[in-house]
Amino acid sequence: MSDNGILLDIKGLCVSFFTEDGVARAVQDVSFSVKKGETFALVGESGCGKSVTALSVMRLVADPPGKIVAGEINFDDRNLLELSDQRIRAVRGNRIAMIFQEPMTSLNPVYTVGEQIVEVVRLHQKKEEAEAWDIAAEMLRKVGIPDPVQRVNEYPHQMSGGMRQRVMIAMAISCKPELLIADEPTTALDVTIQAQILDLLDQLQEQSRMSILLITHNLGIVAERAENVAVMYASRIVELSDCKSLFDNPLHPYTQGLLQSLPRLGFTGKRLYTIPGIVPEPLRFPAGCKFHPRCPIGCNDKRCQTVEPQLRRLDNGRGACQSDRQVACWFAPGYERPDDPKI
Amino acid sequence: MGDNKQQKTWGTSYGEMVWKEFAKSRFTLCWLGFIILLFMLAIFAPFLANDKPFVIRIAGQLHWPIFKALTASDYGIFLAAIVAFIQFLLVLRNRRCVDPSIRAGVLWRQITISVFIVLVGIILLFIFIPRRLDATDYKSMVASGKATGAVFAPVPYGFGRTDLKVREQPPNRQHWLGTDDVGSDVLCRLIHGSRISLSVGFVAVGISSIIGIIIGAILGYSGGKTDFIGMRFVEIMMAVPVFFLIITIVAFFPRSLFNIMLIIGLTTWTDDARFVRAEFFKLRRQDFVQAAVSLGLPLRSILFRHMLPNAIAPVLVNATFGIAGAIFIEAALSFLGFGVAPPTPSWGQILSLGVSTTGRFLWWLTLFPGLAIFFTVLAYNLVGETLRDAIDPRLRESV
Repeated sequence: MSDNGILLDIKGLCVSFFTEDGVARAVQDVSFSVKKGETFALVGESGCGKSVTALSVMRLVADPPGKIVAGEINFDDRNLLELSDQRIRAVRGNRIAMIFQEPMTSLNPVYTVGEQIVEVVRLHQKKEEAEAWDIAAEMLRKVGIPDPVQRVNEYPHQMSGGMRQRVMIAMAISCKPELLIADEPTTALDVTIQAQILDLLDQLQEQSRMSILLITHNLGIVAERAENVAVMYASRIVELSDCKSLFDNPLHPYTQGLLQSLPRLGFTGKRLYTIPGIVPEPLRFPAGCKFHPRCPIGCNDKRCQTVEPQLRRLDNGRGACQSDRQVACWFAPGYERPDDPKI
Repeated sequence: MGDNKQQKTWGTSYGEMVWKEFAKSRFTLCWLGFIILLFMLAIFAPFLANDKPFVIRIAGQLHWPIFKALTASDYGIFLAAIVAFIQFLLVLRNRRCVDPSIRAGVLWRQITISVFIVLVGIILLFIFIPRRLDATDYKSMVASGKATGAVFAPVPYGFGRTDLKVREQPPNRQHWLGTDDVGSDVLCRLIHGSRISLSVGFVAVGISSIIGIIIGAILGYSGGKTDFIGMRFVEIMMAVPVFFLIITIVAFFPRSLFNIMLIIGLTTWTDDARFVRAEFFKLRRQDFVQAAVSLGLPLRSILFRHMLPNAIAPVLVNATFGIAGAIFIEAALSFLGFGVAPPTPSWGQILSLGVSTTGRFLWWLTLFPGLAIFFTVLAYNLVGETLRDAIDPRLRESV
């Protein structure tokens, strides 16, 4: 057990996919840490590498074509990337659990939901069959499924999408994991159900003090629930910050663009802001800062076009409050160092 | 049971959905009935066609020759059939009144008990039932008036009995489907031959499916180099003309039924392996398999508990075609003289006698076993076809 309260610490993670068209660097030099009991949000557009990052934590990146090229993933002071297959299986589902994006296909159609929960409980907690069924019903009750004793015997196709996502959550939390990875848990659901599911996650987190790694492209969700946020763009983290400062004072032009394109209450202006251009493909990343072709500040700057900025703590002498904020942009105040290349 | 007032409603399982879809086709149901009838025929063959009477009175004493003449394996088949039937009824009952949470456990226990009963029963039967050769000619005893009150089977001839007085007779009142070159009754031999043909189909396909599933599952799940090398091996196996391979192998090994089953099974698994591999390839990327991995389930459970039931459909369908194919191969082998040794009857063997040594074409020896093979193969193919439609997920989603 580490004393600093850090549960998951990712250092310099690089994941590449070796395809026939070339090497796609899906995740490059990603580092962040998740504290015990906190909700950490990983935000970004689709294809920016946030799901791959999450899958890497579970060691679920399909190999081949994917490969974790470099980095460390320390969970409770053990590097998950060095564990044997058997040891990682004991972690999966037991200490780290994952909820997937698509509840309609995440449950096995040939078993009742009860059977699926029971298998996990029996595997990790070494419970007797009857006791495991009680736990399954208890879990379904916990995630707000009415009449759980009856419902354990139902098949996934008899349930709605929101219901199935609740079952997925029940299955994920059935072994009381310390870390729950939620990979866009609400994307496939109705807006009303989305709020319910997120409230449920909050409530479960309060009860058990588990950490949640929330992966989403929805900044609205982040503002309400996360303590810390990492914004990813084209395989890198471009801004890492606590939630409040990020929303109050976004430093990276990409984050600024994202926040500007959120509709706000009472917003009666003309058109909603959109970031011009499209997300670059992993096989054809631009040179320099990957955001520069779309950037309102740096698109004509020589340095942005040639030298990629690294994620850095800001050095503007404003004290401890800024020390946790990291950004990767040449134009961020206090970013530049004396030994940086000048162009 | 705690709560009896409330009638519990359980979800329709995958199997029930498939059955519902399958049963929509009355036509195929008839053919399924035909297959079941064939099985009854094979199981109870000694009671349908036998030269010994069920009961006979000789010198004022009742004798039960048929039951004494039955071998231990005959009784073994009856026992297995009865236990299988009871097990089937139990499965139906389980679905109605056993809570799904313990159903798997209950079913497992029942099957264990059933298998145990059958195994122990067969061992005991082989120990306690001696092999008796009863060469008594009960028919002549009845004809000469020495015995009375005889009750014969519907086809009162034995499959091993030869009677050179009535050889090569076309169908007539005594021999409904005629006699063969040594004077055995064709109908009797057809009935007993169904045992061989049906068991060849089942055992051979059982062997090939199991091999195919295991190889396909491993290749499909692992992918990469394993898959590449494995598939080349499968392709080599496919390139070998199976029938000639079987003929070659049969020439080297003793002509026994078991060898034929084994060889057919060991050479026809390639299709199953390819189907299962393709399904596993598709399933591996499915969310619920990813979810199963992310929950830390062991590989064995992921492969055989979570992926296989979703990939079994094409194997099941292929099995029905495979049974038809195996019956066909056995018939062809017997026709060429590589099949089971006489006097054990099989359909292909009867067929092969169609051209007699005297050069006459004995049509009844060709037509009737030919029809038997034709209708059996047709029935299996039709059932397989309907099963495929019933299982097809695209159809199921629209329901």
